[in-house]
Order: sequence, then C-alpha cells, then structure tokens
Amino acid sequence: MTALVDVPASAQTATRPPTPRRRRGQTWPFVLLLLGPSAVLIVVFIVLPAVYGLWLSLTNTQLTGFAARDPKFVGLDNYSYLLTSADFLTSLGQTGTFLLFSAIIGQTVLGMVAAILLSRPWIRGKGFFGAAVLMPMVVPEVVASLTWASVLATSPEGTLNRLLNVFGGEPTAWLQTAPMLAIILVNIWRGLAFAMIMFQAALEDVPAELIEAARVDGATAVQVFRHVTLPLIRGPVFLYLLLTTISTVGVFGLVYFLTRGGPGGQTRIAAIYIYERALQFSQVGIGSAASIILLVIVLVLGAVYVRLAKVEV
Amino acid sequence: MTTLESRTAAPVLNLRRRRRLRPVDVAQRSIGYALIVLLALFCLVPFAWVVLSAVDADAGATVQIPAFSFDNFIRFFTASGTPLLLINSLVIAIASTVLNLTLGIAGGYALSRFAFPGRRFFMFSILLIRVIPAPATIVALYLIMVNLGLANTLHGLIIVQAVSGLPVTLWLMKGTVDAVPVELEEAAWTDGNTRLQAVRRIVLPLIGPGLGAAAMLMFMGSWGDFLTPLVMLQNQDLYPLAIGLFRAFSERNVIDWGLLAASAVIYVVPPAIFYMLVRKHLLKSSLGGALKG
Repeated sequence: MTALVDVPASAQTATRPPTPRRRRGQTWPFVLLLLGPSAVLIVVFIVLPAVYGLWLSLTNTQLTGFAARDPKFVGLDNYSYLLTSADFLTSLGQTGTFLLFSAIIGQTVLGMVAAILLSRPWIRGKGFFGAAVLMPMVVPEVVASLTWASVLATSPEGTLNRLLNVFGGEPTAWLQTAPMLAIILVNIWRGLAFAMIMFQAALEDVPAELIEAARVDGATAVQVFRHVTLPLIRGPVFLYLLLTTISTVGVFGLVYFLTRGGPGGQTRIAAIYIYERALQFSQVGIGSAASIILLVIVLVLGAVYVRLAKVEV
Repeated sequence: MTTLESRTAAPVLNLRRRRRLRPVDVAQRSIGYALIVLLALFCLVPFAWVVLSAVDADAGATVQIPAFSFDNFIRFFTASGTPLLLINSLVIAIASTVLNLTLGIAGGYALSRFAFPGRRFFMFSILLIRVIPAPATIVALYLIMVNLGLANTLHGLIIVQAVSGLPVTLWLMKGTVDAVPVELEEAAWTDGNTRLQAVRRIVLPLIGPGLGAAAMLMFMGSWGDFLTPLVMLQNQDLYPLAIGLFRAFSERNVIDWGLLAASAVIYVVPPAIFYMLVRKHLLKSSLGGALKG
C-alpha cells in the first residue's frame, strides 16, 4: 500500500518536459501501442462488468429458463423486492455483524496489540512472532479454511474442544451452534497480520520524544497510548479501517468453504447471498441489485471513514 | 565522534533502565510476553492439523500423533484427478502472471515516460477500481465471459486474473520505471539505439526489484483465488487446486483427510518457492551509482 501512496510524489519529478530529442507527434502512437491493450482489457473486464451489473439490476435476467432468452426492463422492482425481503435484510445484518466484530473490532484491536508489543525494545524473538502472525495471511484462502475445519471439528477431539476441555468446557459443534462466532474468529485470525503491518508502519512515525515527554510527566502507558499515540496515528487507522471494510465485505471463500452460508442461513453474508441468488437460483437481476446495494453501502462507509479521519486532526 | 557518544550513552541508559525495572515494569513485561505468545499460538495452532495429517498414514479430521509416512503425497501424485489440479493451478497462475507483467511493463513505461493528457485521470481511475469488492461484479463478469465464449475455459480465466491484478501492477511498474533515470535512456539513444532497444538494454535490467514485487503479488493473488474459478469453471478437468480441495472437502461423503492435508501442503509450496526465488531479487537494488561521475 505504501508503494502505491508514494508514487505520485516521484511522478511529479519524473514528468519533466519532453526532451527536445523527442519529436512532437511521436507520443500518441507509443502511448496507444503500450498502454492501449491494458486500457482496453481493464475496460472490458473490470469497468464493463460494473456498468453491466447496474443494467442487469434493472432487468429480470435469468441464467436459465424463459427470461434468460428475453430479459425485460423492470425498473426498480428488484430493489423494492430486496429492501422488503427478510432474507436480504438479514443477510445485510449478518454482513454488518461480521464486519463490525471481525474487522473493525477484532482485527483492529489485536493487530494494534501485536504492533505495539513488537515495537517494544525489550521483546525478544520479534522475527519469530512477526512471522507467526503473518502465516494466516499468506496461505491461500482454501488452506486457511481447511485448517479451521479441523480446529472447529464437531468431535471432542476437535482442537478447540480439546482446549476447552482443559478448562472443563463441554464439546460443542461450533459450526452448528455458533456459526457466526466461528467465522468471526476465523476472519480475525486471517486479517490480524494486515492490521499489524499497517499499525507497525504508523507507530514508527510517532516521534519517540513525545512518548518520552509524556512518560516523564507521569502518564501511565495506557494514558500515553490514549492521548499521545492514538491521535497521532489517526490517519493510518482510518485508512486501515477503509481497506479492511472493503476486503471484509468481499470475503467469500473463507466463509463459503466452512459453512456454505448455513446452517439455516445464519452465516449467509452478502457475498454468499449474491452468489446463491445469481448463480444457484439463476436470478441474475436480483443478485445484481444486491451487488449494487452492497457497493453503495461500502462507498457510504468509505466516505464516513474519510470524513472521520480528517475531522479534529 | 558519534560512535563514541553512543557507546558512552548506551551503558548509562542500560544502568538507568536496570535500576528502574520496578515490579510494575516486570509485571508489564510478563503480561506483554504472555500476550504475544498467546497471539502467536492463536495464529500457528490451526496449522498443526494440516502439517501432522499430511504425513499421517491414517489421518482423521482432528489432530493426532501421526503414523509417519509419505503415503498421502505419493497418493496425491498417483491418483487419477489430483495431479491435474496442480497442473491447472500452475498453468493459470504462471500464464496470468506473465500476461499481467507484459501488459504492466508496457503500460507502466508509457505512464512513466510520456506526459499525455488524461494520464492522472487514468491512474486514479484504476486506483478507485480497487474499492469494488470482487463478489459485487462477479455475476456480470460471468455473463460477459459467456457472451465472449470465454466462460469455462482456462484462457478466459487467465485473462480475467491477469486483468484483475493490472491496476496494481501498472502503479507499481510506473513507480519502478520512474526510478530509472531517463538520462540513461537518452544516452542509449545517442549511442544509436532505437527506443525499444533502449528499453530492452537499459530499462528492463534495472526494474528487477519492482518487477519481482509485482510478480509476487500477482502470482499469489491468482494462485489463491477461489471465487473466480468457482464461478467461471464448470468442467472438472479445468479445476485448479483451490476448487479441487473445496470439492474434496464438501462434496464427498467420505472425506480422505490424509490426501486433503497433503494437497493443502502441496498447494502452499509453489508460492513459498517463488517467494524464496524472488526475495533475493527484491532486496537487490542495482541502480546505485548509475549516474555517478
């Protein structure tokens, strides 16, 4: 991410006026030849799907059957259906719960704890701990899910059940009795490293003198964090919240692998709702409308974060 | 002078710290260590099952002391369907990375070296695209692929993967080419090279680190992707490992846990090898001193 943010500054130095050696009129053929293919492919495979999705959401397109051959424009019917559908509203609520507890609370708090601990000078084995936290993020999604399928296994020998047994807990079928809790836990596990990396970078920019001064004035560690460190890393924290919101709303495989949205639709987060509607029940129109609603929610949340990040700095 | 200062300063600091290590500090540090150890365990423990079961001749769904054997790996490579999963994954990830980098180098070079109207708009538009979560456009993308006759084909999936990583690659490559002094290229032109020759002889050898980073990101993204192949591919012979593992886990009545764990280990190996190959390259910067003298 930092690489992306750094670029514009260097871009300015590089856009020096064209050298006299380069003749006028030579620019466009080169640009079209070099950048043209990328631009066309991005339009066809990224921009067009977004625009086409907007159009599909206004039709009754189906994957199969009669309406597949002759889709009709139905205006905002799909939207009014969705916004009064208990299934969809429940799904949005579950997406919100998933986002709030796994990303905004879980990953942020634990990522911050990890980043602060690893920035302490007295901690030994930073390399090992850092690598350990990184592992869940770098393995493919399917492998991440598979590891948790075993941890959450129903039998008393499931890793979590064994651990709880030490403390006298009863064996539980986690993915049946507490599926939302389970997928929240799994997503915290997977996203922890990204939060840690972002916060580590932010903490490095906090001047040590300010912390030292506050300590000398008799502030406790908690007070220093609350009143000195946190206000200084406000920007990166909200940038992180923005990025994690986008990626958490886009989580599909991790949850689909473990629960397939079940049991009884208890973990049917929006991404799974869209997939089921459009590709399993073949209601492309309704699925597309759900996508657009989801996209609007993400954009609104993004705007809120950007606002919160700027106020009171 | 500075070394002398820091040498005298360090012991003083140490002394002060040692003297000041009150019970409160000891308690704080103990809690700190306890927390970081717990976090590390939380992150690592789930992997225990995969690692142990992969080398367990009679593996089950849960952690147990393995009856050590490489039988599961042998079965992975000799079974009828599983080697094909690995080959498909390799074909998809390598081809999409090559395509992505080819487009990215060309486009990044154009974005870096030519000041044309609309360039900033283009750069920021492709950055904004990242805001859209993948599941939100996958349905429309699938219908477009059906219309283009690219659905349910490997080359279709390869193009989609390569393009989905293109915004990031273009940004990375633009930044990397920016770092190559244009004077070096100009010198090559005056020596009689054409623009293309100058790119091949001067720019390409110097953008190694950026190229490595872009390749790594693209390969990992393509290799680990689950949603796109799940939607795009229906033909079992085209499945990559991600889908193969998912089907083996969720659609069989009797799950072969040992084979599943071994497949997961095999699935993790190629990106790890790739990372080790690229890592040296990532750290090496060959630009230093190019302009000196």
